[in-house]
Amino acid sequence: MKKAILPAIIIFVLALVVAVGSQTFLGACVHEDGSFGACHWASRALLGVGGLLAALALAALVVPSARLGLYIAMALTCVLGILTPGTLIALCQMATMRCRALMQPATTILFALSLAASAVGAWLSCREAR
Amino acid sequence: MGASRLPVKNLIRRPGRTAALVLLTAFLALSVFGGSVVVRSLQSGLDSLQARLGADIVVLPGSARSKVDFQQLLLQGTAGAFYMDADALEKVNEVEGVAHAAPQTFLASLKADCCAVKVQVIGIDPEADFTVRPWIEKSYARTLSDMDLAVGCKVTANVGESLKIYDQNCHVVAKLAETGTGLDTAVYCDMATMKKLLAAAEAKGVSHKLESGNSDVISAIYVKVKNGYDIDQVMAKLNSHVRKTAAVRARSLFTGAADSLAGISRTVALLAGAVWVLAFVILLIAFAMMIAERRREFAVLRLLGTSQRGLSGLILAETALCSLAGSVLGVGVAAMLIFPFTALIESKLNLPYLTPGAGTILALAIATVAVTVLIGALASLYAARRLSRTDPGTTLREGA
Repeated sequence: MKKAILPAIIIFVLALVVAVGSQTFLGACVHEDGSFGACHWASRALLGVGGLLAALALAALVVPSARLGLYIAMALTCVLGILTPGTLIALCQMATMRCRALMQPATTILFALSLAASAVGAWLSCREAR
Repeated sequence: MGASRLPVKNLIRRPGRTAALVLLTAFLALSVFGGSVVVRSLQSGLDSLQARLGADIVVLPGSARSKVDFQQLLLQGTAGAFYMDADALEKVNEVEGVAHAAPQTFLASLKADCCAVKVQVIGIDPEADFTVRPWIEKSYARTLSDMDLAVGCKVTANVGESLKIYDQNCHVVAKLAETGTGLDTAVYCDMATMKKLLAAAEAKGVSHKLESGNSDVISAIYVKVKNGYDIDQVMAKLNSHVRKTAAVRARSLFTGAADSLAGISRTVALLAGAVWVLAFVILLIAFAMMIAERRREFAVLRLLGTSQRGLSGLILAETALCSLAGSVLGVGVAAMLIFPFTALIESKLNLPYLTPGAGTILALAIATVAVTVLIGALASLYAARRLSRTDPGTTLREGA
């Protein structure tokens, strides 16, 4: 039982880093004239996806009976998070811009690690259920 | 249980100790692989820039800022614009020893509709050009025509799309191969397109006219010196013959970057060396402590018939497994931290940065894993030799 909790704790931390980071140290480009580019909305979407993932991870910690389903939901949320910047919401057209050089790769790595943790969590939950 | 599985069982039985050894070797591999890749990428970037420029001399406007702006354009992709009279090209061609002279005109776009930075537009003369054209020809076999653009690899506009520069619609016809330099963030067009863009910029209040009022301008002339002529002498002639310009040796443009690269290489080598020495000493202590802790276990194994060579083999196998797992983990983490963030590293270092090919990276990764396993094995060898000198019976009687 204890082993199946560990992936949820890891995902919760990673999701918080995505949610907070997308608005701060991993944030999108800052325009000199105060206008917003598409990448700004991608970072707002990442706040939402990261928050959702954190909530799912928290639910997996407090509702053991639904853990397998929650891990599957977390895995799908991670896929959504990976696709959000660049694929579902456009980013700036210069690869050197902050949104492409920092926000996209950093959040992709964080979601990929969360996806791997979700898979491990689902496997452990499945084993416990048997 | 077979003797061959004993090292694996031992490692699994003590997860804390195993994790510590794996993390230690992972840190060692991370620093070595990461440092090597960054230094190789910087070297590749500088080589690529030198190859890309392909000229012996560059003639720039005589203003003090033009050389600095040109260097920033090449190394960092900072958009800039400086101009001289287009007649300078004719005068450059008159100088003895000049084999080829190719003009370029620069224009910094206003904030592009795509993003918040200015895009550097570079106009070339496809007939005379010998620097950019070979690069464009790798991606686009035809000549750039009216309002066509070839974009650097870091401009994420695709072939077939349009880019609006000063409200002029330009068609992206080619995406250029990566050079790891500031040239990757620029877009290229022919001189006819550049003239239209300059006129559009003028209409928007971005003037490129010289003090004389002349609007027929260029920004730089790339010069190839004829075989048998001394480059410095040709440069001196250019400086005396062509007024209001400054001829500089292309090599001098990279001196600062080459010095920075040498400094970074020295720092990385020093840090990697310090990490290696530190890791080797820590591994020596860790293995000595581990073997001291397990003296009774090893004594029992000896009394059960395991030879001294077998015992050394067991210790070496455990070390090799830990080092292998740690080095693979370290290389993996370094790859995850470096390759997705190449654009960020490049912009922070302010130097040309071109990631080496997959073959070189694979070779570096294999070399890192091999050397890390070797270091781990060497560290454990000393402890294993000390163990082989003690009598197992005495060890058990002492109750150590």
